[in-house]
Amino acid sequence: MPKPDFLTAQFLTNAITIGIVVHVLLVSAGLSIYLERKISAYMQDRIGPNRTGFDLGLPLLKQLFRGFGFWGLGQSLADGLKMFLKEDYTPRNVDKVLFMLAPGIIVIPALMSFAVIPWGGTFAFPGFVMPVLGWEIAAADVQVLGANVSIGLIYMLAVASLGIYGVALGSWASNNKYSFLGGLRASAQMLSYEIPMGLCLMTVLLITGSLLPSAIIDWQISNGWLIISQPIAGVMLFICMLAECNRAPFDNAECEGELVAGYHTEYGSMRFGLFALAEYIHMITNSALFATVFLGGWTLIPFVPVPGLRPEDVGIVAVLAKFAVLFGKAALLVCFMIAIRWTLPRLRYDQVMQMGWQAMIPLSLIIVIANAFLTFYGLTSTVAMLVANVAILAVILAVQPFLPRANTNRKIRIAGSRFSPLEDEIVQAAPAAAYAADDPRRTQVTTGVM
Amino acid sequence: MTLGAVDIASYLPVLLLMTMAILFAIGNLAGSQLIGPRRTGAVKEGTYESGMNPVGNARKRFNIRFYLIAMVFLVFDIEIIFLYPWAVTFPNLDHQYADGAVWLGRILFFMLTTIVAYIYGYRKGVFKFD
Repeated sequence: MPKPDFLTAQFLTNAITIGIVVHVLLVSAGLSIYLERKISAYMQDRIGPNRTGFDLGLPLLKQLFRGFGFWGLGQSLADGLKMFLKEDYTPRNVDKVLFMLAPGIIVIPALMSFAVIPWGGTFAFPGFVMPVLGWEIAAADVQVLGANVSIGLIYMLAVASLGIYGVALGSWASNNKYSFLGGLRASAQMLSYEIPMGLCLMTVLLITGSLLPSAIIDWQISNGWLIISQPIAGVMLFICMLAECNRAPFDNAECEGELVAGYHTEYGSMRFGLFALAEYIHMITNSALFATVFLGGWTLIPFVPVPGLRPEDVGIVAVLAKFAVLFGKAALLVCFMIAIRWTLPRLRYDQVMQMGWQAMIPLSLIIVIANAFLTFYGLTSTVAMLVANVAILAVILAVQPFLPRANTNRKIRIAGSRFSPLEDEIVQAAPAAAYAADDPRRTQVTTGVM
Repeated sequence: MTLGAVDIASYLPVLLLMTMAILFAIGNLAGSQLIGPRRTGAVKEGTYESGMNPVGNARKRFNIRFYLIAMVFLVFDIEIIFLYPWAVTFPNLDHQYADGAVWLGRILFFMLTTIVAYIYGYRKGVFKFD
């Protein structure tokens, strides 16, 4: 039997990378749920999950791990198993087929989108002969990523935006008003923030001149990380990623007070689990994309080549080290996203959309045009671009007060209220209740007209 | 690899990945369907509306703004798709010749049409969400 043509060193590396990274992603999605609970616990002065180990309730394992709690690391596994054991329940009014399909449709693009992230740079694949078949695989320098496709970043954008289908179908099929409104909101928000996301990535392409993430990393090795030379685009891309993942402060799709749980209100058991899993995998892959494009990929320190992490290091140890560095950056970004969730309050829905359409899109168009001119005049050194970014920011801040303003958030004075008293009115700012009567501040704040 | 010749073999790993993802999704959905208990009832099967009796269903008219967003999104997304090939090739042009200026001018005109569309939409109130 002759050797099939596609069976090259590159294909084998791709297949092995996919096999490893899918499992790493699934495990780390579980761990990031644990991380989210732990970080939120620390930020709220609680302890968080700290009991669940890996004994699975079996007496033998319980005996083995006696007195050792694993710091609650088994929590995600326990949650996942619990979801499997829950009833997979379908309400009566739903569109049965779409209701079944939606969780699958949302998790497939989530699992597929990491393929073009260059996890480990270049690897010197040793040639060998397959034992039984006798096929010879020639030695070659290969790229360690899921799929070495020439469209690079476009693949990532295209596949990641397929996640909208899962949200829209799930919400429509649920035939529930909360789900429906949540799904509409989520899809409108994801569509809106896809445009500035694409434009921000385009500024990068205008400088590096290549769609391949590996070429973008090469550019950053010689010119410094892109977050230094393109800070506006970097920050905007990060904001767009938060909005794309439906993460706080943009989690309007599932705001509890208004919409219960948004598009997965009617879902339970592992179907809900797949929705949650897709969200966390999206977070991790988006963080990895951000780390690749703006934080120098697998390089550890900007401008300084670290031994073992240089482009010419192609051994298996170097590949693993590069993977660790890139994955560590992604993990730190995930932690940052989680910290943002428990720091910033949720934006109102009209504020989210206004920010998308009236701020992010014009700003990203401006930086694309500015970068086109910079490229045209050859001013693509780090310092020149940093100066240009600062200049753009200064111009925007100077022009911003003169731009047309929406009326939505303007303070409306209510005549006679505590904050806009009438002409000759004396405002009693402190409470007049008896328990506050002996508060020393009471006399101080009894002021006149504000 | 030359431009225009698509290396189809490089997409094989994507096929592999897609197969794995589909199997994962099917496995999870089928697994929880098989393992979980099944106890149902008339009230349990009802639509969740915070514990109240459901009123009608969700197949109702909804705000026109969502439709407007979808339409405007198409305009901008197609613009981005056209800009991507330009953005990749533009830095690789030789700017000492007139090519660069011509391509910058053309794409600026193309962007101008989008900016006009944006301003039109803004004046029409498409981007107001209050």
